[in-house]
Amino acid sequence: MIELLASALVLASMYGLVAVGISLTWSSVGMLNLAQGFVFTAGGYVAFLFAQYMAKNFSIRDGVILSLGVVLLGMLGSAVAGLVVGGLAFLPLHDRINFPVRGLIATLAISIIGTQLFMVIFGPQSKPLPQIFGIKRLKIGEFSIAYGQIGTIVVATIVLLLVTLWMRNSRRGLQMRAMMMNPLGANMVGVSVRTTGMIALALSGALSGLASVLLGQIFFVSPTSGVQPLIVGLIISLAGGLGSMPGTVAAAVLLGLAEAVTARYTEQSLVPFVQFALVIAILAFRPRGLGGVLEDVRE
Amino acid sequence: MSNASVGRRRLIPRWRVKTSSLSRRLRVPGTKRSVLRFEGRYNPKTLQRELILRDKKPLFWIVGLFALAVIPIAVGQQLVFSIFGSICFFAAINVFWTLIIGTAGLQSFASLATVGVGAYAATYLSITYGIPWPVMLVVGTAFGALMGFIISIPARRLDGLYYALLTIGISEFCRNYITQSESLGGQFNGALFGADRIVPEEAMQTTSGQTISYLTSFVVLLISLAIFRVVSGGRIGILLRTAQSSKEDESFASAIGIDFQRARLLVFLIASAALGFVGAFYATNQGGASLSLFSLDQMLLLLAMIVIGGLGKAEGAVVGTVIVVFLNQWFTSWGPWRIVLVGVLMLASVLYTRNGLFGLRQQLIEIRERRKALSRATRTTRYGAFLPEQGPEIADKGVIAEREFERAIRDQLRSWITPEIIEEHRLSPMGQHSDHLERILNYFRKQPISNKYVVYCEESYKAYRVVALSGIPGVPPRSVDDKTYSNLDEAYHAVFLRRINDLKSQH
Repeated sequence: MIELLASALVLASMYGLVAVGISLTWSSVGMLNLAQGFVFTAGGYVAFLFAQYMAKNFSIRDGVILSLGVVLLGMLGSAVAGLVVGGLAFLPLHDRINFPVRGLIATLAISIIGTQLFMVIFGPQSKPLPQIFGIKRLKIGEFSIAYGQIGTIVVATIVLLLVTLWMRNSRRGLQMRAMMMNPLGANMVGVSVRTTGMIALALSGALSGLASVLLGQIFFVSPTSGVQPLIVGLIISLAGGLGSMPGTVAAAVLLGLAEAVTARYTEQSLVPFVQFALVIAILAFRPRGLGGVLEDVRE
Repeated sequence: MSNASVGRRRLIPRWRVKTSSLSRRLRVPGTKRSVLRFEGRYNPKTLQRELILRDKKPLFWIVGLFALAVIPIAVGQQLVFSIFGSICFFAAINVFWTLIIGTAGLQSFASLATVGVGAYAATYLSITYGIPWPVMLVVGTAFGALMGFIISIPARRLDGLYYALLTIGISEFCRNYITQSESLGGQFNGALFGADRIVPEEAMQTTSGQTISYLTSFVVLLISLAIFRVVSGGRIGILLRTAQSSKEDESFASAIGIDFQRARLLVFLIASAALGFVGAFYATNQGGASLSLFSLDQMLLLLAMIVIGGLGKAEGAVVGTVIVVFLNQWFTSWGPWRIVLVGVLMLASVLYTRNGLFGLRQQLIEIRERRKALSRATRTTRYGAFLPEQGPEIADKGVIAEREFERAIRDQLRSWITPEIIEEHRLSPMGQHSDHLERILNYFRKQPISNKYVVYCEESYKAYRVVALSGIPGVPPRSVDDKTYSNLDEAYHAVFLRRINDLKSQH
């Protein structure tokens, strides 16, 4: 039971990190960032390069410094990739006509280019990341949980809490929420759409970079490893209501739980089916998702 | 030199016709549409009756499609056959996708998945029950329509990007399902082969077999274009265009009694059924289906084709497909770089053009019009003879030209007026003058008679005055001042000074 819950929460935290990033970008910038997969992979590769460098030059293969470095550099790399996406798709297009569709296409193009560039630079093989939480297991009675799982859940929860608090209490967070509600109004009272948008992109990049490093524990990093998180993240942010953080987290937990339960009691092949049935059921009753409050405000 | 070399109107091809043959017109059989849109008119110069082709697009279509049909057959290599086959196949998909995105206005990304469903259904039934290829095409169409119906259910409640997301999810789900399912090729990494073929496998090795196989693909492309024309250019397309661009338009459309939701779903169903047909055709052509039909990369490539060509236009879909497929399959030695190039093209077309390659012409025309308007505005400040807004009010453009000419002459003469010239005239109002003075005087002489200053003799050799003529017979001249001059030369010079004064104040 606890094992089931642990694996569900691990999935939920991973999905939640990516989905919150996508949701944040969509609601504040007004652009569906389909290059999030590229951003995700970029963080993984930066972390991999760092680990390789440490192993080669200082022969450090595990430890606190390496773990911290891997996490921070992964987040930094993804944040920079998010800024690149913003510079190529958001800044030139955000004040043009038909921005939502053109932004979507531009991010898709960036995603194509990025994936192929990774293919050229790193080759199609998967690259391993170091186990940042060690490989030991925690025993509680007859159950055992890997440290990696606990670490993932704890880190993701803390980071998501921090982001929520930051959004609620800081001045930038206030600006971002103002932009979510009404971009034009925010602009009129002195919120810079460009600066705030770029910060939102960097932040969502950092979140997916963290997810990338954490997921790199289970799956290795490869040029196309961003596709699956992107799609699941998109679906979760859709089911959670684009722009709503609590809704997104709730949807992530729900879908993670559904995936864990399905994989445990039936077969793995039914997982996507159950997920989609769940999402379609949610959308049938709440077309704007679980926490969908934005409705027509953006229009 | 004639005016024929100015402007582009002389480049429009025209045909001289007899007046009696004007009403005869080539029409599409069974309809009132004319095949080519000719405009009959009189040539304003020669006054002869002539026909002008107003819409040259059909000619380009014919030439382009003819080239598409003939080039691979003329070359006759297997690689070229396969590239052009892919072009026809993807172009057909893109044309229907354009129907869904452009005409129906539904942001569906599940088009390729619909093709895949048609292909897998047809292949599976052909392997299991041994149905021949014509039945496979029917089965594929039916499954495409079914898939379209299923995808269209959420379209009633979701809109825009939400729907786009959901359809991406649906196609990803289909891919997962195929990989996991044992009967649908879970064993062979998703591939399912062994279906009935139009051209038997042995015959595919020969050139004639490849030719026939290619021609069938080409026919599928033609069918797709015909369906696009009928649906998008027909009544339902007009209904949908009313409700297309914004929420207000939708409200307007429903206010005037257009059920655009129903029309939208109908177009979506037609396009989905046709996509299923294309999928089944793929299965009969390749002898099966493979997982690439569901892959996200392939879908992105298709989207790149549509975006590069121009969203919402059949010609954009076809030309974009030609460009991307050619890049992708001809330059295979470039490796991943060719896909990078496709991505860069896509990015550039989104950043710099409003609607891809085929929106470029409209964009360039608008830029040119803007430049023209700007230069017209700056020209006004230079001459000021008339305002550009007045241009349309004056029917005879010669009047405008004449006014501008007069304006230019006045500017020139004004620049010649110097104290030396005035002094020269004071010394000898009559007789030989310098060139500039002579020209100024000639200009004064040919001015109209009304309000012209003349010398009035009150008493010969004693008193002269300056008066202005009324210009109307019977109305006496008015006096302009009460100065009198004792001799004729002084009076002449006074008239000259007044005219110069008027010329200086006139603009």
